[in-house]
Amino acid sequence: MANAKNTTTKTTKRSTKKTAKRNLAPNKLVMLVTVVNRQKAEYYLDLLQDFNANLQLDISAFGTAPKLLGLLEGDIEKQVIFSVIRQDVAKKALETLEEKFKTIRNGKGIAFTVPLSSTIGVAIYQFLSNAM
Amino acid sequence: MKKFEVIFCIVNAGFSEEVMEAARNAGARGGTVMHARGTANPQAEKMFGVSVQANKEIVMILVEDSIKEGILHALYGAVGQKSKAQGIAFSMPVEDVVGLSAKAIVPQEEQPTVQPAEEDPQ
Repeated sequence: MANAKNTTTKTTKRSTKKTAKRNLAPNKLVMLVTVVNRQKAEYYLDLLQDFNANLQLDISAFGTAPKLLGLLEGDIEKQVIFSVIRQDVAKKALETLEEKFKTIRNGKGIAFTVPLSSTIGVAIYQFLSNAM
Repeated sequence: MKKFEVIFCIVNAGFSEEVMEAARNAGARGGTVMHARGTANPQAEKMFGVSVQANKEIVMILVEDSIKEGILHALYGAVGQKSKAQGIAFSMPVEDVVGLSAKAIVPQEEQPTVQPAEEDPQ
């Protein structure tokens, strides 16, 4: 009995090893969208570079302030940053961003990730994921 | 945990206010407006020898999953292809969101995109 048990565990171990090798799929990519005040955009671009974001696009935009608050024009100038990062670092990136949103003066913003379904070209994938 | 979706609405330049008005009436809180250029009708451009770069505005609105459908319908009615805005709207699933405080769920509060910095007491 003991022998039989041993053999079964061995085989399962082997099979998991095999499947693990087979399932070495490349990491998924996500698009990280960050909306921040325009003055703080440079800071956040640098911050996101640490998460292997090789491709970053930043676009100037405006927040849609409700009229009843009567805001100054300058207050709603925003910058939208689109960065492509790997899914496994997305969580850490968002956590870091959240902390910065809370602590940095005038650095409030929102950020979210959208999964990318596909990309074409190995070199492009390597560039986007910063994998060698 | 609440699920979010991001709605993109592409309209002719100058119609972002109408987009936001329709979206707000359907429960959205705030959005971000980006300027863009549309590249439509290349045949006509060739024919007349001019390059028409239609100015567009893209409105990005982060909303809860539950009110997404209502907002898309509102946008279709208010700024759809039949209106002068000639808008198209689509939504994408969002994995994770940060920066929307718990307060933002309360209708009175605005999401950070629309908040002035001065409102933050810290």
